[in-house]
Amino acid sequence: MLENLTIEQTSKLLNSKKASALEITSHYLKKVSDANKLNCFITVSEDHAIKAAIQTDNRISKNKKIGLLDGVPLAYKDLFCTNEILTTASSKILSNFIPTYESTVTSNCQKEGAIVLGKLNCDEFAMGSTNKTSFYGPVINPWKSNESDEDLVPGGSSGGSAASVAADLCIASLGTDTGGSIRQPASFTGLVGLKPSYGRVSRWGVVAFASSLDQAGPICKTVEDASILLEAISGHDKKDSTSSIEPNEHFYKNLNSSVKDLKIGIPKEYLSDDLPEEIQGYWNEGKKILSENGAEIVEISLPSTKTALPAYYIIAPAEASSNLSRYDGVRYGLRVKGENLTEMYELTRSEGFGDEVKRRIMMGTYVLSSGYYDAYYIKAQKVRSIIKSDFDLAFKSVDAIFTPTTPNTAFPISKEELDPVQNYLNDIFTVPANLAGLPAISIPFGLSKSGLPIGMQLITNTFKEQTLLNIAKNLQDSINFNIYPNQWWK
Amino acid sequence: MIEFNKKITLKLAKLSRLSLSNSQLENLEKDLTSILSFIDQLKEINTDSIDPTSNSLDQNLILRDDLAEDVLSNEKLLQNVPESELGFFVVPKVIE
Amino acid sequence: MNSEWQTVIGIEIHAQINSKSKLFSSSSTEFGSAPNTQVSLVDAAMPGMLPVINKFCIEQAVKSGIGLNAKINKKSIFDRKNYFYQDLPQGYQISQFKDPIVGSGSIEIEIDGTKKAIGIERLHLEQDAGKSLHDQDPNLTFVDLNRSGIALMEIVSDPDMASPEEAVAYVKKVRSILRYLDTCDGNMEQGSLRADINVSVRKKGESLGTRCELKNLNSFKHITSAINFEVARQIKIIENGEEIKQETRLYDVSSDTTKSMRSKEDAHDYRYFPDPDLLPLNLDEKWIEKIKNELPELPDEKKDRFITQYKISNYDAEVLTSDRQTSEYFEEVISNRNPKLVVSWVASELFAALNKENLSIENSPVNSKQLGELIDEIEKGTISNRAAKEVFEEMCVSKKSVQEIINDKGLIQISDTSEIEKFINQVLVDNPINVEKYKNGKTKLLGFFIGEVMKVTKGKANPGLLNQIVKKKLDN
Ligand SMILES: [Mg+2]
Ligand SMILES: [Zn+2]
Repeated sequence: MLENLTIEQTSKLLNSKKASALEITSHYLKKVSDANKLNCFITVSEDHAIKAAIQTDNRISKNKKIGLLDGVPLAYKDLFCTNEILTTASSKILSNFIPTYESTVTSNCQKEGAIVLGKLNCDEFAMGSTNKTSFYGPVINPWKSNESDEDLVPGGSSGGSAASVAADLCIASLGTDTGGSIRQPASFTGLVGLKPSYGRVSRWGVVAFASSLDQAGPICKTVEDASILLEAISGHDKKDSTSSIEPNEHFYKNLNSSVKDLKIGIPKEYLSDDLPEEIQGYWNEGKKILSENGAEIVEISLPSTKTALPAYYIIAPAEASSNLSRYDGVRYGLRVKGENLTEMYELTRSEGFGDEVKRRIMMGTYVLSSGYYDAYYIKAQKVRSIIKSDFDLAFKSVDAIFTPTTPNTAFPISKEELDPVQNYLNDIFTVPANLAGLPAISIPFGLSKSGLPIGMQLITNTFKEQTLLNIAKNLQDSINFNIYPNQWWK
Repeated sequence: MIEFNKKITLKLAKLSRLSLSNSQLENLEKDLTSILSFIDQLKEINTDSIDPTSNSLDQNLILRDDLAEDVLSNEKLLQNVPESELGFFVVPKVIE
Repeated sequence: MNSEWQTVIGIEIHAQINSKSKLFSSSSTEFGSAPNTQVSLVDAAMPGMLPVINKFCIEQAVKSGIGLNAKINKKSIFDRKNYFYQDLPQGYQISQFKDPIVGSGSIEIEIDGTKKAIGIERLHLEQDAGKSLHDQDPNLTFVDLNRSGIALMEIVSDPDMASPEEAVAYVKKVRSILRYLDTCDGNMEQGSLRADINVSVRKKGESLGTRCELKNLNSFKHITSAINFEVARQIKIIENGEEIKQETRLYDVSSDTTKSMRSKEDAHDYRYFPDPDLLPLNLDEKWIEKIKNELPELPDEKKDRFITQYKISNYDAEVLTSDRQTSEYFEEVISNRNPKLVVSWVASELFAALNKENLSIENSPVNSKQLGELIDEIEKGTISNRAAKEVFEEMCVSKKSVQEIINDKGLIQISDTSEIEKFINQVLVDNPINVEKYKNGKTKLLGFFIGEVMKVTKGKANPGLLNQIVKKKLDN
């Protein structure tokens, strides 16, 4: 009864008193501790969870009407600051940091009665697409290829957020997406992952990677759950100057799966010979479904597509290099003693940051430094304008854009890339939406021949999340994926 | 194309307050050179009449009222501090 | 100084906006609190914290810009200036680089009646840093972040000044304008207004020399001394055939010299870029107009008005308007009173008394109403000018009213003709020889008789009447 629960199902169980919040929470805590092999959690907040579950049960016993998230065990990427719960960003430099405050997004969930099981492993400071850059070690994808027993990456950077939901260690989770960090791992683990429009969700209290690109969002088992969580975490926050004043919407209540008369664009630039045939196959299947269900499929052009990745790998490191300057060992976090201030800074940061983070700090410092600023940083910002106007133009003729989420499926953890650029190519389909601030979702479509999940991506215009969710639901209901990995880790 | 030589890499490390071993510096030199050749693609794009976008959100800056309402105790402020003295943050002696 | 040398001075003033809360956070800006008690999560740059700008600070910057006759930029951008320092928690200062809120402008200074225009390059908004204490422990530096994030206006001048006098006049003028506008309290001792002075020298006709920046000067005296020392130092170096190194220098009060702080070679690469946490600031034309219309009268306008309205001298008008509080005090006193009398009482007697006690006019022991009452008594002839000074002295130390003091001291002037005549008659009778001499042409003795009458009346005789009657009697 308590396997692979969705938010909707959990809420029904609680409301009908078929299960108590404490029962469900304890059940999930047990699952978490049985899945240590997957290395999903950095911190399990058992005491907090049990306390919250009892509070939900008290509300239910007093016959209070409870909301959809009340009593639902969730877990958060360890990038969200959580009051009095260790928050590390998967970095050694924050390995002892206990915030005295709660991020707006997680606090929104808690206000609705959600139960926090703990903090999820991710790439260090969300920099990566494999979860291998974490100070706490890689997360292991609960999915395995039917061809080998090798451990696979769950994707990244929200690797723990995806793996924990796929392995059913929590009902749903929150991740963050700067260049695809929600959608790519969702795709690698057979889940729904949503990156909202930039500004839809507050960034207050979320450890910053690249401020102009970061957005928090849900990783869930269904589109319905994604709607519920998005609604819970959205809304204007006066503590975030880049939070939109756009009114919040009832995404769940207004969810409707009709795609009739919608125009869906297929960007021709996303098609390449490198795209594996089976991904291509599901993409075509998606077009067919949408068309059969009443949508019009239109070929469109996003000519700037191939510039997105290089622009991203200038902008994101530039912002990151500055955002990560605050980790200096003076006020919190790791400090390595030095003879003088500069030495203390250098030793602290060298020991506190991993290789990928250092690489990006160095790259960001480079593109901002005098003599290179115009050639790289300003150039990338201009390219970003072009990318944005490409999308603006496209959305004059289509309601949504349909593409693969990733050019590949989950690959072995042991696969070492000699060139960092090879890793960066994972984000090729996801990065444009971040640069343009658009909402995008990845939904599971099926399995590859070797038995690994493949996801497809939908992108809509800014603040058109309802349309995005509606189309996603249409696809979900037609495909009826509903497959979970077998629980080999137990 | 610009190659990352040791001098540039060292300068970047210094600006970033990272102390790196020789082998780390060498690896970074190699990695950064490869990333640079990747991002150098942008040079081919004509951006002459384009304005840069530093944030995609199309909205006016929201202004806050001048209220001194945020109070954080010294104790809470210093909850995670590696070293403190008499309510101050403490660092190795800085000679000005 | 050898006259073939010219000094070129440009000034950056950091003026703290008199807001209740900081530029990007809601913590208090109160001066003098216990260390690290006015530091929010944002000021301490805790992970995930974001800046939200203070509307009042924007208004104050716009007001100040208008006061400096400068262009208000309808679109401005906040940038990050990246560098590591123990009192800079974010690892960057939020400032404005390419697109400041205020563009170029100009103000006028006046030295010995000669006016000179000084160009303003820009005014931008930025965060202040924290404070470091180096003398608390032999091995440690202590950091207090109470100042961290406080709103500053950085006002950058053109290199238009040629002497320490002009530099001081410029800083005084900017300070006065900001105080008139009530955008900065101008308190230099508390660091609310400090100046970085760029100094270079050149021989007449030559191109600009290499400059040195004298950091953080917070008194007019230090500005003068630091520039004088620096100019002499630079000339000596050049005359020795050496070159000036571009560097930042600190003025040391105890030795009255400037010392090198850091040179250009180890200057930072600040990697300015637009802060992605903040969107561009767009100002509405109507809103700027509204601020313009609500602006108070500024020192130059007020000075011109004082000269025409009260017919006072340029010099007096300058003195009385250089400070807003003084000008307001003056105008409170002057209503329907004799301007000459009021000027002399405010600019001489009151200023002298305040100087003696080192008080500002806001803390004057004699308020404008009381001083007005005193002047009324002089104008009515109740007391003499001399007696009035005695009353004023008493007013500075006691809480008694003008009337009480006059009564207590018995200072009421004798203006009754017959009473004065009685005293005169007595004096004439007592001094027959001098009366004789006067009548024989020694008219200078008039003063002697007046003095004698004053002696016997203890100075209370109305001097006008006395003069008139004595003359009449002697000339008979
Ligand atoms: Mg400056
Ligand atoms: Zn400044």
